[in-house]
Amino acid sequence: MSAALVMSPIQGPRATVVRRPMPRVVHWMLLTIVALMTAFGGNTATVAAQTAPSQPIGSTPVVSSRVQNYPQGDRVQGKTPDSKGLALLFWLFAALSVGGALFVITRRNLIAAVMGMVGTFLGVACVYMMLYAHFLSVVQMLVYAGAIMVLFVFVIMILNKPEDEPVAKGNRVGKAAGGLAIAYLTLRLASLLISVEPANKELAAAAPAPVKISDVTGPKGTAEYADWGGTKAVGMELFTEGLFPFEAISILLLIAVVGAVAIARPLKDDEASATGAEV
Amino acid sequence: MIGNVLFNIGYSHFLVLAAVLFAIGVVGVMARKNALIIMMSVELMLNAANMTVVTFSRMWGDMSGHVFALIVIAIAAAEVAVGLAILVAVFRGRRHVDVDRLTTLRN
Repeated sequence: MSAALVMSPIQGPRATVVRRPMPRVVHWMLLTIVALMTAFGGNTATVAAQTAPSQPIGSTPVVSSRVQNYPQGDRVQGKTPDSKGLALLFWLFAALSVGGALFVITRRNLIAAVMGMVGTFLGVACVYMMLYAHFLSVVQMLVYAGAIMVLFVFVIMILNKPEDEPVAKGNRVGKAAGGLAIAYLTLRLASLLISVEPANKELAAAAPAPVKISDVTGPKGTAEYADWGGTKAVGMELFTEGLFPFEAISILLLIAVVGAVAIARPLKDDEASATGAEV
Repeated sequence: MIGNVLFNIGYSHFLVLAAVLFAIGVVGVMARKNALIIMMSVELMLNAANMTVVTFSRMWGDMSGHVFALIVIAIAAAEVAVGLAILVAVFRGRRHVDVDRLTTLRN
């Protein structure tokens, strides 16, 4: 890096053309992840439904209750055309969030990156909605897509400088480490998706079933059941068990506001000394 | 098999989506040089972790995951405020936010 800077007066235009586009390898690896998920994810999606009936002890009441417990409205089953559309909506939102995230890390233009970020946050908010986290979804839209992105846009406007070097160049060790990490993650994800079959089937069948939503809130059809993940339920949880974190967060936000103002405030004597001091 | 994956969305789909988002955030932090993009990638990773927490919360029917995600969102907001203030202060002194050239604390 520093060598390139020293060499640049000698070599002239050649040294300035070292910018490189985002490595295509990253794109292909992420595409591979999605393709593997598409091809082999069927094992994971149906593993809970498949393990229990295939047991030799499948006739015992424990196992059958597990089978009945599992699809509890959180799994979008493709039995009717409506739920098929709902299942496809998940892919739409997943593609929106992943595409926005790829946009963020590949764009050279900062404003374009922020727009990709907004897409990601909207997709994530919709995925929250599919997970019955209504309140959290709205908070996600308000806080992230509303407040944090506006803050980013403001700072980009302040720091208005065309970016010409989007990727770290020439750092072979970092690239090798990053490539190894990506390959490892891809491998782990692929192996996870391919072989989710539990090692000990009898143990897995005897394990306690996931808690039903109606056990926590109320029977299906009542207002409490419908409100799971809504404002009232989150508020009840937040102001009983999460009361201390809630108060601590308010203090933290106050400190952050004061700290942000203190850090970003212009220092009059600092301005002159700092401009010439750094490279 | 393909139809199963397409039309039978389970928890694993949400978890894998969160893992992919987290991986993209990691790639952004490692590959990009602009500090603003790095902060956005960190936000991406926080979002992925939040999605995992919310998925597990739904899986167990427990609302405390939602409270945890809410607190993570608040902390992310505070982190963005302070981080962007630091970036503005750095930019005021040096006219760039290139993390490869911020080597004052090296060695």
